[in-house]
Amino acid sequence: MRLNKIILSFVSALVILFSTSVASFAKVVGDKIILGAAISLTGKYSSNGVHTQNGYNMAVDRINSMGGVKVGGKTYKFDIIYYDDESNPKRAAQLAERLISQDGVEFMLGPYSSGLTKAIAPVTEKYGVPMVEANGASRSLFTKGYKYLFAVLAPANLYLDVAIETAVELNGGKPVRIAQAFEQDAFSQDVRLGILDAAERTGSKIIIDDKLPKELNDMAATLVKVKQMKPDVLVVSGHTKGALTAIRQIAEMKVDVPMLAMTHCDAAKLSKQHGKNSQYALCASQWHKSLTYKDDFFKDGMTYAADFEKEFGYDPPYQSAESSAALLVFKDAFERANSFDQKKVRDALAATNMQTFYGNIKFAPGGQNVDKPMVLFQVMCDASGSCENKVVAPLKWASAKLIHPIPKWSER
Amino acid sequence: MNKNFVLYAAILIFGLAAPFIFPAFKVQLSILCVLIVLATTWNIQGGEMGYNSFGNILFYGLGMYLCASVQVGMFFPLAEWTESGGEKTFVHTPTQFFQGMAVGLVVAAVVPTIVAGLIGYSILGLRGHYFAICTLGLGVAAGEISGGIEIIGAGQGFTTPPFPNVGSLEARGEFFYFLSFFTLVLTFIAVRSIYSTRFKLILNAIRDNEDKAEAMGIETMKYKIIGWMISAFFCGLAGGIMGGLVGYIDSTDVAFDGREMGVFMVLMAILGGKGTLWGPIIGATIFHIFKEGFWTFFLGWQYVALGVLIVVIVIYFPEGIMGWLREKYPERFGEVVDEKDRKAQVELK
Repeated sequence: MRLNKIILSFVSALVILFSTSVASFAKVVGDKIILGAAISLTGKYSSNGVHTQNGYNMAVDRINSMGGVKVGGKTYKFDIIYYDDESNPKRAAQLAERLISQDGVEFMLGPYSSGLTKAIAPVTEKYGVPMVEANGASRSLFTKGYKYLFAVLAPANLYLDVAIETAVELNGGKPVRIAQAFEQDAFSQDVRLGILDAAERTGSKIIIDDKLPKELNDMAATLVKVKQMKPDVLVVSGHTKGALTAIRQIAEMKVDVPMLAMTHCDAAKLSKQHGKNSQYALCASQWHKSLTYKDDFFKDGMTYAADFEKEFGYDPPYQSAESSAALLVFKDAFERANSFDQKKVRDALAATNMQTFYGNIKFAPGGQNVDKPMVLFQVMCDASGSCENKVVAPLKWASAKLIHPIPKWSER
Repeated sequence: MNKNFVLYAAILIFGLAAPFIFPAFKVQLSILCVLIVLATTWNIQGGEMGYNSFGNILFYGLGMYLCASVQVGMFFPLAEWTESGGEKTFVHTPTQFFQGMAVGLVVAAVVPTIVAGLIGYSILGLRGHYFAICTLGLGVAAGEISGGIEIIGAGQGFTTPPFPNVGSLEARGEFFYFLSFFTLVLTFIAVRSIYSTRFKLILNAIRDNEDKAEAMGIETMKYKIIGWMISAFFCGLAGGIMGGLVGYIDSTDVAFDGREMGVFMVLMAILGGKGTLWGPIIGATIFHIFKEGFWTFFLGWQYVALGVLIVVIVIYFPEGIMGWLREKYPERFGEVVDEKDRKAQVELK
């Protein structure tokens, strides 16, 4: 009988707890524009989540210190509410809901990774909350007719098809044999689609097509096959862990392949972490500090990289740069809309046409940025063993010539 | 009896009114309902039967994929919906959405039940750690396999049908809340009525000494399978609802999420006190509140805080909250038994 009392008091305690914890924020408080973001601070994407967060914070500080956002004759400052999505799409969707319905956020910044963006987009779309995202590149995000989703980056299928075309070109226009291994996630699978398209276009043959698990730390099975079948190109994509695993095991197993194309080399700090072992790796990137784009806030890529390094102690990967650019886009849209009305801001975002240090930004009706090409860089080391990423394609920005084929391990 | 009635009525009214009292918390409340369902059904194996199953997540994930696939497949070509890279979104009319959801949920409940029956026959012969490890493998395998099936989106994930526009923005939250609350009530009624029959005693006999139970003429295999099928039914249902609620299914992170949901359901039942009716419910509620709280106030440290919570539970409440209460206030639990006992003795005289 007393048990009932316990349970009843428990239920009432619950009621009190819930009702007291209803915090109220709003989109614009005083002179602050509050943006919401779910970021992977823990879990498998935590390192890239932090790159994203650093990029956001850097831009917030910079914009605020340089006069903030002017709307309706008043100056506002940016502020961001962060939550940790634990690299989990379920959590991300839940947090988006929470940011919007509990915290009253009316404008969102994107999370890290395509999968999480795919989970959040339906929520922001439902509430009509404009979201500028910088890290969800999956093509399927832009075919769904989302009206409130804007991505400052180029879609994932464009990441590495240039590498295949380059390989074919260097092969005297003849088709190449491709080995590929991709993580089982939305982003990497989209990179794979890009390669399939490129292979079909060039008549190239895919001889190894492996899928890698999500918690990626071993791909020896694929590499054994690569050793046996000797493809012309090896393509690997699996976020930071994929890049680190690939380089570690290729060096351990001394796998010789004429071209190694990857993603996330800069986010994984390959040239620092693996030094000479990472030499010659060819990497797709949304941005590189040596590109010559300019804006008023960060000046150019080199200045951004120097400032970023001073603040956070490492060279900014493109994930940070594109995240900073997302804030510039928001600022621009707020000022052009001259209002905090979500519809007006959305329309202003759709009409964005600007240059930032990160690149030109102009959105297609699907929401993807169509005005910024991808770049490829190659890890190059000097005799002393210090390595650097140098842009090799497209030629307009190339600061070095592509080294091809990669020398054999026995000759290094 | 009357007091019980008052309690149930109070909880029911609270449950029905909750989304209106706390309109901003609808999603959390829906998830709480799902968590309670998972913990309560896990308790059938882990608590009452003594079989620590990590495989219930299999039914949850299966239900999730099935419900979404049926909901889409009934009206549109599923392959085009999930086609990697260029997935299309066809728009469900409200009728299509709810019809699809209804049929989807039925399938999501029935198929896992059948699957539980089939695999149960082969693996419920294992005992102790062997059973635990085997079921752990089931969930992991299902995650990896589903991550390779193109028709359900493979590694790209599966976006479930967006909720149709029925006028109000709140409709979606309310719909999913009541759906999950209804499932919770259904689960509770089912489990409670099962626990009041001989079936529970058989499960307990299996837990306490399976060989003796068998020697007494109980067909233990049959009851073990039935118990698992009951769990599978509600886990599948919970999965189907959760898929719609989250809106995006990923093979290993959302559906066959053994690392989170699969472990949480065990943790919640143990926290509340396994082998009791109310334990998993209390455990799930406290767990959910703590987790949400840690998230907000210990950003980035929530798993450390959660780890500390687990250590505290294991050290100070090894029998769970219900077990601790029983030990601390035996008269509050014992009273009822004594009273009956006394009466029985009086009648004997």
